[in-house]
Amino acid sequence: MESLPLTEPVLLILLSLAGQPRHGYSILKDVEEMSDGRVLLSTGTLYGALRRLLDDGWIERFEEAESSRGRQAYRLTAGGRRNLQTEVSRMKQLTRLASLRVARKES
Amino acid sequence: MFSLYRCLLRLYPSPHRREYGEEMTAVFCEVRTAMEKKGAVTRGIFWLREIRGLVHGAFAEHVRSWAGSHSWALLPTRRFTMHSEFRFPKATPILMALILAGTVLAIEKAQAISASLPHINPPVGPIQPERLTFLPPVLLMFAVAYAAGLIGWMILFALKRSGMHRLSQVQDSAGRE
Repeated sequence: MESLPLTEPVLLILLSLAGQPRHGYSILKDVEEMSDGRVLLSTGTLYGALRRLLDDGWIERFEEAESSRGRQAYRLTAGGRRNLQTEVSRMKQLTRLASLRVARKES
Repeated sequence: MFSLYRCLLRLYPSPHRREYGEEMTAVFCEVRTAMEKKGAVTRGIFWLREIRGLVHGAFAEHVRSWAGSHSWALLPTRRFTMHSEFRFPKATPILMALILAGTVLAIEKAQAISASLPHINPPVGPIQPERLTFLPPVLLMFAVAYAAGLIGWMILFALKRSGMHRLSQVQDSAGRE
């Protein structure tokens, strides 16, 4: 089971799939763009993470209908979206707490 | 280099390779095509990243197939790792250059002393191969590597602590003002 809190690459992969279904190369480029070039995934890292997420039922794999090459694409499952929302809520709470504590120290 | 990628892909367990091998190769080809427009350094970094990713991924998949769902306990993740944006102080290159210069001077001085002394010791005979064993040099190598790592860590820790100490002093004085 992909446990919480998620690692940054896994979180970025899930965020990439939250907007729309994507294939492998599209996920790589989107992760790079979202992180301003800070997180650059190798194909080994990407497919390791995708496999774990598939096994845990966070994402599902399907054949792209538009693609002539029968490329495989990935999308979030309902459970995966719920888990992602839980993680985002946890991070929001943490950020709010951190902002409060830092502001209190500065004042 | 593409054949190297295909070779490294063979490190994966065969079920993983059957399921994702072709797809990984296709994605790799797309990334490689995009990288052709970039400079040599960027391409080199890309290759290193791919090799590292494949080796680590293959190892993780083998552990996963061996340990099943408990593989997370065997593989280190970076989940709890916090990067502190640590940077070396600007004086570090000067300090390192001084240490290097001191070492070179010491070696030259030792060579000069050695040349000035009469050779009273008999020459060392050839080392007998049968007396050499494999284990002691390996243990010595590990001990030296461990000691070097420990010294490096201590230097980094001391630099980090002194930086944090200075930062807390600055914050305290700013707070008093």
